[in-house]
Amino acid sequence: MTNFDSDKAAELHRHLHSHLPSDPALRVKALESLAVERGLVAPETIDAWVEAYSEHIGPMRGAQVIARAWTDPDFKSRLMENATEAIKDFGFEGNATGHLHAVENTDAQHNMVVCTLCSCYPFSILGMSPAWYKSAAYRSRAVREPRAVLAEFGVRLPDDVALRVWDSTAELRYIVVPQRPEGTDGWDADRLAGIVTRNSMIGTERDLRAEG
Amino acid sequence: MDGIHDLGGKQGHGPVPVDTGDAPFSHDWERRMWGLAREGLVPSMTIDWFRHGLEMMVPADYLTQSYFEKWATNYLMIFADDGIASLQEIEAGHVADPAPRAAAKTTEEVVEQVRAGCTDFSLPPDAPAKFSIGDKVLTLDHGTAPHTRLPGYARGRHGTIIAHHGAHLLPDEGARGRHVGDHLYTISFTARELWGPDAHPADTVTLELWESYLVPPR
Repeated sequence: MTNFDSDKAAELHRHLHSHLPSDPALRVKALESLAVERGLVAPETIDAWVEAYSEHIGPMRGAQVIARAWTDPDFKSRLMENATEAIKDFGFEGNATGHLHAVENTDAQHNMVVCTLCSCYPFSILGMSPAWYKSAAYRSRAVREPRAVLAEFGVRLPDDVALRVWDSTAELRYIVVPQRPEGTDGWDADRLAGIVTRNSMIGTERDLRAEG
Repeated sequence: MDGIHDLGGKQGHGPVPVDTGDAPFSHDWERRMWGLAREGLVPSMTIDWFRHGLEMMVPADYLTQSYFEKWATNYLMIFADDGIASLQEIEAGHVADPAPRAAAKTTEEVVEQVRAGCTDFSLPPDAPAKFSIGDKVLTLDHGTAPHTRLPGYARGRHGTIIAHHGAHLLPDEGARGRHVGDHLYTISFTARELWGPDAHPADTVTLELWESYLVPPR
């Protein structure tokens, strides 16, 4: 049973610091062997998870949600009211989206999401997060100098656009609804989903392009 | 806790690895780690204890190990703490007395497991909310618990409540293995309140903060 004792956890970490192999591949191999031998997980189940998050669960899910919001005003109002309920239309609810909120970019406001204390992320609709989202640089700077961070992503946010950074450190998760680009009149939801990028749903991209 | 993990506003971490860090995974062992973690492995722990365990890592390790490497290190600590494996077994990478193999799951089964694992962290409140949308509040200026979700950069700052979410499980207690509810609010802070007069006047940072982190403004 878990002891919930901070001092004991720190002591164990110090012990492991000097007794574990430095190669992370070997650490994970040890962890997997221990878990498999204890009967906690089958190796094939880990394969299944890897396949699930490469083939089935990823940013293409979020892109479908955004495309529906662009083309279906009723869905959009439900999404903005309660995103957790709205994404059940697609069966996309799940890991870390029990309290999902959609926030909308406008001509006057841009939204950007970070988790400064760990790397919280809406996994069930965006899949696994990119490495940069988990980097110390993004976590430290997104709240303090977000416009400089955006510039590194190639986004020059005009001075007259307000920027709101959502530091998602509780169990609420955010998906940014980017603006539908011009030149997409008449496109159906499938075609629109093809131009919605992962970064635009995190808020590190702003102007999507009508290509595809 | 005032640990190395509390990165918001810290300086000196350099540019964001926009191009080199675009992929979620760079190595197969990272994929294995992600898959392992999706199975939970340790029924008696809480998500807050897992996060607190990461915070209790040797500080230099926290900053130098990559995301999934930290997870592996933390899981091994938790295995030792829970008695799932002894330190000797962890160092050997094998257990002395293997159990029967777990049943294998298919991809379809784990995709459904994700959907069914949509967890609700809210619970009925014990007491009425002290604050309302539109209220100005002041955050505590000191850390309160071994684990807290009040980041250092937002302590002792004034903000405005823009949403009230009812009572949610308080992570400070969750990291102690206790399930306690507390009203949860979204607070908007102006960038100037947090970072000073050079910040953009229209910019804001929001945080979800529990009522026990907040006091009325002075």
